[in-house]
Amino acid sequence: MDPEAARTSRESLDLVFHMSNILETGLDRHTLSILIALCEMGLNPESLAAILKELHRESQVPFSSK
Amino acid sequence: MEDDERRVVDLVKELVHRLLFNPQTPVSSSIPTQEEYNQALKYSLRILSSRMKPSIAADEFSVVESIKRRLATTGKSSEALTFADLYSKFSLRNGPGSVKNKWAVLYLLNRISEDQKLKKNRFSDKISSGFLDSVLSGGLPALHDSDALSDRPGSLGRSNLIKEENEVSEEALVRDVLYACQGIDGAYLKFDEKADEYVLPDFIKVPRATRTMVRKLCELGWLFRKVKGYVTDSMDRFPAEDIGTVGQAFCAALQDELSVYYKLLVVLEGQSMNPIPLVSENACSGNYLSLRRLSVWFAEPMVKMGLMAVLVDSCKVLKGYRLLDAMLPSFISQSLAQRILRTGKSINFLRVCCEDRVWADAAKEAAAAAGTTTRRGDLGYGETDALESLVAEAAKRIDKHLLDVMYTRYKFKEHCLAIKRYLLLGQGDFVQYLMDIVGPELSEPANTISSFKLAGLLESAIASSNAQYDDRDMLDRLRVKMMPHNTGDRGWDVFSLDYDARVPLNTVFTESVMSRYLRIFNFLWKLRRIEHALIGVWKGMKPNRVTSQFFSKLPRAVTLQLILTSRKCQVLWDEMNHFVTNLQYYIMFEVLEVSWSNFSKEMEVAKDLDDLLGAHEKYLHSIIEKSLLGERSENLNKTLFTLFDLILRFRSHADRLYEGINELQSRATESSRPYRDKAKLQKQPSNRSSESSSWLGEGRKELTRRAGEFLRNMGQAVDATSQEYSSLFEGFISQLPIQQHVDLKFLMFRLDFTEFYSQLKSTAGGKILL
Repeated sequence: MDPEAARTSRESLDLVFHMSNILETGLDRHTLSILIALCEMGLNPESLAAILKELHRESQVPFSSK
Repeated sequence: MEDDERRVVDLVKELVHRLLFNPQTPVSSSIPTQEEYNQALKYSLRILSSRMKPSIAADEFSVVESIKRRLATTGKSSEALTFADLYSKFSLRNGPGSVKNKWAVLYLLNRISEDQKLKKNRFSDKISSGFLDSVLSGGLPALHDSDALSDRPGSLGRSNLIKEENEVSEEALVRDVLYACQGIDGAYLKFDEKADEYVLPDFIKVPRATRTMVRKLCELGWLFRKVKGYVTDSMDRFPAEDIGTVGQAFCAALQDELSVYYKLLVVLEGQSMNPIPLVSENACSGNYLSLRRLSVWFAEPMVKMGLMAVLVDSCKVLKGYRLLDAMLPSFISQSLAQRILRTGKSINFLRVCCEDRVWADAAKEAAAAAGTTTRRGDLGYGETDALESLVAEAAKRIDKHLLDVMYTRYKFKEHCLAIKRYLLLGQGDFVQYLMDIVGPELSEPANTISSFKLAGLLESAIASSNAQYDDRDMLDRLRVKMMPHNTGDRGWDVFSLDYDARVPLNTVFTESVMSRYLRIFNFLWKLRRIEHALIGVWKGMKPNRVTSQFFSKLPRAVTLQLILTSRKCQVLWDEMNHFVTNLQYYIMFEVLEVSWSNFSKEMEVAKDLDDLLGAHEKYLHSIIEKSLLGERSENLNKTLFTLFDLILRFRSHADRLYEGINELQSRATESSRPYRDKAKLQKQPSNRSSESSSWLGEGRKELTRRAGEFLRNMGQAVDATSQEYSSLFEGFISQLPIQQHVDLKFLMFRLDFTEFYSQLKSTAGGKILL
């Protein structure tokens, strides 16, 4: 990956991270980069969103049952 | 492919790991076990392998719009701005290293954000505590859970499977409906000229309910087309045709309304692509606009557009002015408004039709007389009395001026009189001359007659009658008019006179009025012709009585037969003449002159143009009704015309009879001389003339035989005619009393003066009874 592309990709990630923060998604940079990568692989964003939600819920179950 | 899948799995593993073990994740209170991790991973992969699809088409822009709006509506406008800024930068990143599927990323962010917020709301509910809240939180999450994700992929997948080729998504229909409402054909919805509506073709499979809804929505498009069409039409016509100020204002108002409507449509169109701003976590049901939502949005414009269409429709047929009661200010009474309107009409008539400029002075005078001037401000609020007197003054003056112009400048009365004289055949000598001079011409077939020749004959008829002393201007307006003719029509059927009224008199003598005059003319002309024909027969009859001594030379049998036939003929003639003369008299004196005198009186007292038009209308109507030309006397009129035809037939029989007798007479006087060309006469083919001419050639005996035969034939013909005539006439007489016009009683009285017919009828009735 040439330095130019690397810079662009980093900047893009920055921008997405900013936006993500504004939208209060609660995602960190790393998770975001994984998600972007998956999107770029052509995965369906709807499914990805579903995974995130489900996993969050999973982790909430013990909380709410307590 | 293999690599890609491996990579995806790796990435998902990483993702799940991060999500489960990330200390940032706010709620994970315990470290998940390896088993939990495996379960989560399997679950995630299953979600990914399901065929879940985003519920909207991939449109980056609309997602951004939706995000921005959501931010803005939740009171984070500064964030919205920042976001817009970030997005614009982000969207500019292209080329290697940049994110290619920007839409997916944005969509994902948006989704997650929504989910997060929802969760937060739920938590805040829970945390804010209280008994009620706990109940709510127990209830609400359950609601959300019940239709949560797990069963969504399945249902979506199923609906995808059901979709067939011809099926149209709702988005497409919404878009088409929006197009249709701007008068544009969409991909599916097309305007069908024949059916006069927007039609969804049958091969497109949509549920019937949807179809009905689309049709209902498209009504707006139909209305829009109508209104828009009217506005464009009027605008197109504008320079060529004079559209009144009211018309222009109307178009402008329509245009304003339409531009408001356009604005609405633009907004709707912009919205249609966006997903619905989510209220619940799973309200991903589709775009912002569904057909149902559209129908709500359209409710108001539908009413407005409908109203406009109604206005347009009624304005199409409307010409001139009219009072709108609803727009009348309450301080102006109905009668005052009527007066204002009428004065306005009069002024318009003066201005446009008469090209008169003096009316302005009249208006000024009126203002002066009313104690106010036309300057603005002097008519203050509440001075209704002043306004009323101003209007009254103005109306008085304008109307007076208008009638002055009509009577003096445009000689209305004179023209009416001219029409009465020439079209209604009031000028006797002129009619007589005209009848004499054009009669032979009119007996020709209609298609061989030249109207130029007739126009020449009309001129000479004018020149040889007293009509020549009339105003040249009026005589010039008199024209010959040939009506459209069919094969077999004679000149008599198509000849008529026309009077060219010209501007501004054609306000009174409109085309329809002239066509009624034409009907009257045709009737009168026919009556005159019948009268003329009967007089012609009399001319033939008369000499026979004078030269009756000639009969004595004939054989006795022939003389008797001759006298008998001739008498029959005379009796019938007398009967017909009685009828025609009286009818003529009735038309002249009971109808035309009476109506004219009434009309003249009304003209004298007419105060404005409306009165004048009304009086003229009454005049014409009374003539038509009383002359049996009205709708009610249709049967009677038909009988009358059959009678006329019968009289004409009688005329030809009588002509033949007297021709024959004359022939006989001349031959008889010749018979004393030696016949030079006896042989030649015999050789001639035996047509009627040669028949009579050869009577004497064959000696006295032969003459007697032939004359007897001829007279017998003629006698039979006259008998037949007489019988037909009396039965028809009886019918006519019996129908007369049914007519409701009082004046027809005079006709009845005249015809049956000696009670001859009523007695005949009663005896006939008696016979039937016996």
